[in-house]
This record gives sequence, structure tokens and C-alpha cells, in this order.
Amino acid sequence: MSSTAPTRTPHANSPEPHAATAPAVAVKGVGKTFGATEVLKGIDLTVPAGATTCLIGPSGSGKSTLLRCIAFLEEATKGTITIKGDPLGFAEAANGQRTRLSPQNIRSVRSRIGMVFQQFNLWPHMTALGNVCEALVTVRKMKRKEAEERGMAQLSRVGLEHRATHYPSELSGGQQQRVAIARALALDPEILLFDEPTASLDPELTGEVLNVMRDLAGSGMTLLVVTHEIGFAATVGESIAFLDHGRLLLNGTPREVFGEPRHPRLAQFLETYLDRGAATLL
Amino acid sequence: MSFKLFELMLWAAGYTVVLSAISIVIGLTIGLCVCAAKLARSRALSIPATVFISFFRGVPLLVQLLLIYNLLPAIGISVPSVVAAVIGLSLCTAAYQAENLRGGFNSVPKGLLEAADMVGLSPWQQLKRIRAPIALRLTLPALVNEAILILKASSLISVVGVIELTRMAQNLSASTYRPLLFYSVAGGLYLVICWTVAGGGALAERLTRTSRA
Amino acid sequence: MSLDFGLIIEQMPDILSGLWVTLWIWVVASILGAALGFLVAAARRYGPAPLDWLLKLYVEILRGNPFLIQLFLLYFGGPFIGLRLEPIPAGLIGLTIYASAYFSEIFRAGFQAVPRGHVEAAQCVGLSRSQILRRILLPEMTMLVLPQCVNMAIILIKETAILSIITVPEMTMVIGAIGSQQYAFVDAMFLLAIFYWVLVEICDWLGRRAEAKLSKFRFAVT
Repeated sequence: MSSTAPTRTPHANSPEPHAATAPAVAVKGVGKTFGATEVLKGIDLTVPAGATTCLIGPSGSGKSTLLRCIAFLEEATKGTITIKGDPLGFAEAANGQRTRLSPQNIRSVRSRIGMVFQQFNLWPHMTALGNVCEALVTVRKMKRKEAEERGMAQLSRVGLEHRATHYPSELSGGQQQRVAIARALALDPEILLFDEPTASLDPELTGEVLNVMRDLAGSGMTLLVVTHEIGFAATVGESIAFLDHGRLLLNGTPREVFGEPRHPRLAQFLETYLDRGAATLL
Repeated sequence: MSFKLFELMLWAAGYTVVLSAISIVIGLTIGLCVCAAKLARSRALSIPATVFISFFRGVPLLVQLLLIYNLLPAIGISVPSVVAAVIGLSLCTAAYQAENLRGGFNSVPKGLLEAADMVGLSPWQQLKRIRAPIALRLTLPALVNEAILILKASSLISVVGVIELTRMAQNLSASTYRPLLFYSVAGGLYLVICWTVAGGGALAERLTRTSRA
Repeated sequence: MSLDFGLIIEQMPDILSGLWVTLWIWVVASILGAALGFLVAAARRYGPAPLDWLLKLYVEILRGNPFLIQLFLLYFGGPFIGLRLEPIPAGLIGLTIYASAYFSEIFRAGFQAVPRGHVEAAQCVGLSRSQILRRILLPEMTMLVLPQCVNMAIILIKETAILSIITVPEMTMVIGAIGSQQYAFVDAMFLLAIFYWVLVEICDWLGRRAEAKLSKFRFAVT
């Protein structure tokens, strides 16, 4: 964190009544259906603050959908999600009635969450620095010069200050993803979500992204990572959640989840991911 | 051909370029409005936009021009023929440009807007900062193409009596009995204009850098 | 202004003959134009380099100036080099040549769009050159170029209206003449516009249906 400029955002140090005790994210009874298919079937999950939680599971298990619900890119059809105790999107009354919160409220709760996408989603008409500074200027109303200083600090944090003026098309996939991480970090989020951040990268480029994530985990940020990199999950993750067919099958420390005796579904899943570092666990 | 006559042809070519450029700009403006209406959620907006696009793309420009040229006086609006011609060209290109713009807006990858959503850009900021700039860049090649089509299509306004390049060639070949010469010169001038626009478009595309995204 | 389509309907036989001329010139010019365009594209791809340059010039000249100028050159300029044509043959030849340039570009893109790997895969399993052409290249190209050929055919319907300027007795000329005689030119043009509009929408719909039928064969175009 040493290279980060010590800037304050409106909420970063504001007194949250339950910030000290509340988990970073609390998911209660979340369900999601797309048409007739039930993708999430009542998930309860607690994401501890200041730690790295990895969501693993086979394709189609619903882990990305769960992450997108926590980012409010998808709206859960059932249940509630709270961010440090504050309800996200919907408030639930004692009788279980859900009411939609105001757009301002949704935006303010959401501004505390950062997201890194599988496809990077860098804006192609802006430079790396432009991507990082965009929200600082248009949303946080920072002065251009101040925003650029802050943006450069974030780029150097991911080791790309020398690529600041390059356009996304001039960067490798790994570099693009690191810029995307810098873009999310620039807004000083309390929680950083990663949606399969290395899944669309060539194998030789995954390392640079995973290293940046490892550094972030070491700095005490709250990370929630959907990943197929089992080796990364087992070594960096402090909490592991294993999803299967829209249900949370296992949740605990890597030792609890990966240790013997192993759940048969997890054992079967690990078999298919030997090349992603699962071999070391077997 | 004397230099004097060639000068007349050049002058007429300039007129063709000016009228086409005016039509393209007016057409782009109308096209943006029609595209916005077509993308609107309200049926009251999207249905008229769909009909507009379908009609002006489905009817030959010659028929549109003859219709507008004769319709305006019939409903009591008397305008010079060049105005009727520009209205016709503008409405026709507006329909095509609306479709091109719609294609551009629809091909902005959804993830780029999700990323904007995540960093807190409001819907209006997303449109202004992300969606519109990318959509316009994606539309640029189609816009250049449309400009070339309109330059060529503008030859049809000769039938309503506007003395642009084609009409000038027609008049001069009638008075000198040398159609082969004057239509060839006209064709050559159209070629130069179209190739210049195409070259300029290719250059502009190279200057506005975008990734495939 | 009063729309009186009744007057125009009385002239049905003339209108039908105009419709017939429009339709047959359109169909024949589309087919001949596509055939000529295919030959041009194939010659450019498989012929010697000088032929490619020459044909590129042919295509670019035709694509770089208006159809009306080409038509005038042929119809009014032709007699000066001994080519005296009646309106209908002049219109048909002009439209065919004009169409061939655009069709050739569609086919050229089609040739290029078939991935090399598909041809290499066919070579590896032992198909001959002509078998590769018949069994691999042509079917794949058809899927790729069909939507654009339909599009081009639709453009050509609209271009047939221009033939009225050199007095080809097709729809625009016939209906325009009736409209002038009966002092109902605006009404006549409305009727004409609706006629073309319906014709274009029908073709567009048929084209989309054909495309939907073929789409199940579509391979992953990247």
C-alpha cells in the first residue's frame, strides 16, 4: 500500500455504526432465476472483512451469477445482500417483504464495491490512465491533475506506470487486466470483486495478474474472487466457498474445505482441475 | 473541349460536393433523432421511426425526389427545386444513417457499460462518455460509405432541374453534340471526388484509434 | 390535393406492362450481374496479376461514379462509337454491368472469408482441387454471401426506376406518364412509392427467411 497516495473518499473513514463487527458482505437466502432456470437456490454466505475469499465450483454452478448479484449487475430474485451491514438494492422488512431502495442509495452502497471482469472491459477509446481516471473526474468530480496523480499511483501499484498513455489495444491481455484492477482500486473500494480475472488470458500471462492480486490480499483488502485457479485459491484464499448446482456445498478455511475427508463432489471437481494447481492438493 | 467548358464542369462538380455535404450533415442530424426514437422504449416513438426508416430505404430515391418536388407545391409550399432536392437527399440518407447509428449503438459491448456502472457513472454520463463515443467510432466507416453513396445518388437531382455535375454534362453534351466526352469527364470527376472521400475516410479511421474491444 | 387512385386504376393494362418490364429487367440483370460479378471475382483471385489490376480498375471505376452517368454514356455516347441501342437493351446491359462490379466485391469478400484451415483440412483428408471447390468453398461462400446478394438485389430493384430517364417503359415511366396525362402526378408518385416499398419489404422478408434457414449451418465466424 506504500505507493498509494493517501487520499480520502467521502465514505472511506465515515463512521459506520456496525463497520467494526459487520462482515464485508452478508448474503442471506439469495435465489436467482433466469426464466425457468433456477441458477441460485438459496445461498447463505458471509464474506469476512480484510480477508480473501475464493468462490470455486464447476462451470454453471452459479458462482459468477452470485458475484454479479453482489455487484448488483444482476438483481437477486430472492433474499438479501448487505455490504458492511447496509442493504444492497433491496431492504427486507421483518415479515420478509422486499422493497427496492432508492437509486441514490443503491449508487452509494455500490460505490463501495469495485469489480474486475473476465473480459477486462477497458474502454477502448481511452488510454490506460484515462480508464483509471474516468470515474475520479466524472463521478468524484476531482480536478483532472489531481485525478491523474492518483491514477498514476494506482498504475504504478500494478506495475504499469510506463504504459499510462497506451490504448487498451496496445496492451497485452495481462496488462489490460492489471489496468482494470487499477481502475477499480482508484475509487478506494472497501470490497474488490473479481469475476474469473484470468480466465481469458493465455497461461503465461495469468501469473502477472495473480501476483498483483496476491499483493492486494497481503495488504489486507477484502477480496472476493471467482476463480478456476485452484492453486491460487488454496494458497491465497483465507476462506473458500464451493458452489455446485446453485447451492453452497462447502464453506470454510482452505484446510477445512480441501482437507480429508473430502466431499465427493469437491473431489470430482478437483480431478478435472489438476492443471490449475489442484494437483498439489491431491 | 475548351477550358471554359471544363471550368463549367468543375464548377458543377463543386456544386455536387456542396449539396451532398449539406444533405449528409442534415441527414446525420435527422438520423440521430430517428435512431434515438427507434431505440426508445416508448412505442409511440419507435414505431414511427421504424416506418420512416423502412419507407425511405424501400422507395427509389428518384421516386422520392419526384414525389417531394411535386408534393411541396401541391400542398402550397413553393420552394426552389434545389431546396426540394436537398430535402429529398437528406431524408433518404437520414434513414440509412439512422440504421447505421443503431448498429453502432447496439454493438457497444455490454461489459463496457457494466464497467461504467460499477465505477458509478450515471446513465447520462455512460451515454456521453462511453456509449456515444464508441458507437460513433464504430459508425465512422459506414458514414464514409454513406457519404460516397449520396455523392453518387445526387446525380438524380438533375431530373428536378438542379444544375449539378450530371445536369451540366447533360446540358453541355446536348449543346455540343459530344455526349461521350462530357459524360466521361463527369464520370472522371465523380471518381476523383469519391476516391478522395474514401481516402480521407481511411485516414480518419487510422487516426481514431480503437481496439476491437 | 385529393388522392384519386381510381383514375390510375383504370389504366391497369398499362401499369401491368410496366410492372412486367420492371420485374423482368430486375431479375435478368440481377442474375447476369451476379454471374458476371462471380467471374470477375474468380478471375481476380485465380488469374494472373495484370488481369487482377485490370479488373480492379473496372470495378473501381464502376463503383466510383453514378449509375445514371454510366447509363448516359452507354445510351447517348454509345452511338458515337457505333453502339446504337434501344432503351430496353441499353437499360439491361447498363444495369448488368453496374451490378457486376458490386457483386464481384461481395464474392471477393466471400472467397477471402472462407478460413484457410477449412481448405487445409479438406486437403488433409484427400479431397481434390475441384472437390474442395464444389464441396467446401462454394457451400461455405454461399452462406457467407447470401445476405449481401439479397441486399444487392434489393438495391437493384430501386435502381430500375432510373431506367425511366432513358425512356425504358417500366413502372416509374408508365405511372409517371399516366399521372401527367391525368393531372394527378403526386397521386401517381404516391402509388408508385407504395408499390416499390411493398416490393422491397417482400424481398427483404424472403431474404431474411432464407438467411434464417441457412443460419443453422453457419460456422463460428470469428
